[in-house]
Amino acid sequence: MVLGIALLLWAGWHNLRERRLAMQKARENQVVLIPEKQAKPGAEGEDEMAPKMRGKKAPAFVLTNLDGKKVSLADYKGRPVLVNFWATWCGPCKVEMPWFEEFRKQYASQGFEILGLTDDADAGKDVIAKVAQKSGVTYPILLTDGKVQDAYGGLEVLPMSFYVDRNGVIVEQTAGLGPKEQIEANIKKTIASGAVAQAGGQ
Amino acid sequence: MRSLAAGVILLATLAPAQQGTLPVPGAKPKQYVTYAADQQNLAAGKRSVMELQFRVAEGYHVNSHTPKSELLIPTKLTLDPATGIKASPAEYPAGTSYSFSFEPGEKLDVYTGAFIVKVPVVAEEGQHTLNGVLHYQACDNAACYPPKSLPVQLAVTAK
Repeated sequence: MVLGIALLLWAGWHNLRERRLAMQKARENQVVLIPEKQAKPGAEGEDEMAPKMRGKKAPAFVLTNLDGKKVSLADYKGRPVLVNFWATWCGPCKVEMPWFEEFRKQYASQGFEILGLTDDADAGKDVIAKVAQKSGVTYPILLTDGKVQDAYGGLEVLPMSFYVDRNGVIVEQTAGLGPKEQIEANIKKTIASGAVAQAGGQ
Repeated sequence: MRSLAAGVILLATLAPAQQGTLPVPGAKPKQYVTYAADQQNLAAGKRSVMELQFRVAEGYHVNSHTPKSELLIPTKLTLDPATGIKASPAEYPAGTSYSFSFEPGEKLDVYTGAFIVKVPVVAEEGQHTLNGVLHYQACDNAACYPPKSLPVQLAVTAK
């Protein structure tokens, strides 16, 4: 009788522990697998517009800028950064670049920075520099190396932007030209996201 | 036992739920232009013009062969040399004027829908196959897509 009760108690405790572990695992998976509330239902995996990098750590990179100097994402550690992929042949990309420049100045006091990664490095530095200058861009323009595109999920559409918070997490990913207001909202979200996480961690 | 059963049910329902939300590679076409292969019958030894029919997917456009900016990537057909058939440079249709809604002042020269590229050839008598590639770069109304190469194969019978 005592043995039976002991067995039942042990089984109950064991089951409870297993359930807790299962729930914990499910919660961990939710972070990666379930899109945020802004995502359209079923948007993940349907097309190249899907924000498949959202919620992930921003992949590290070391690239060359137009002056030939090495620039890495790690150089901006602790700052909210917009990583924007563009190309000289991409009309929609060139529309949003002056907006980026404007927001860069507006949110500079909060550490915000933009890195423009050119997806057509074979166009040549001079052409890239000329297009960037014509767009009024003064933020760093980096030449891609053929690997960084894959690290960021493979770029099948341009423009493609990754909003990286102070902790290096991609809090938002957008494909194609969106409204200017949405871009600013994403920047604010990126700045706020890192600030909240930092405050919570201190 | 109820807790054990609940645990089993919980675990059993979690596994497929996780699988169901995993990103599945989309079935979206990687090409934005399609090629309609067509058997071409020509007169042997005489100059003939082959017509290659392409179609741009709905909602997209590609730059014409002569886009208005040197930054834009033109549509271009490249054919490999083949024995018994000599192809001259391709002749491209004129594009149509197009502007992005966010940039109405900038006029582009594009192909949308169906377009035909003509290739003058002189072929010896017999069966021939011409292989080549159509290089293009597509955009829709708010985004652009990296340059693509569409394989083209043309079966030619010269009599």
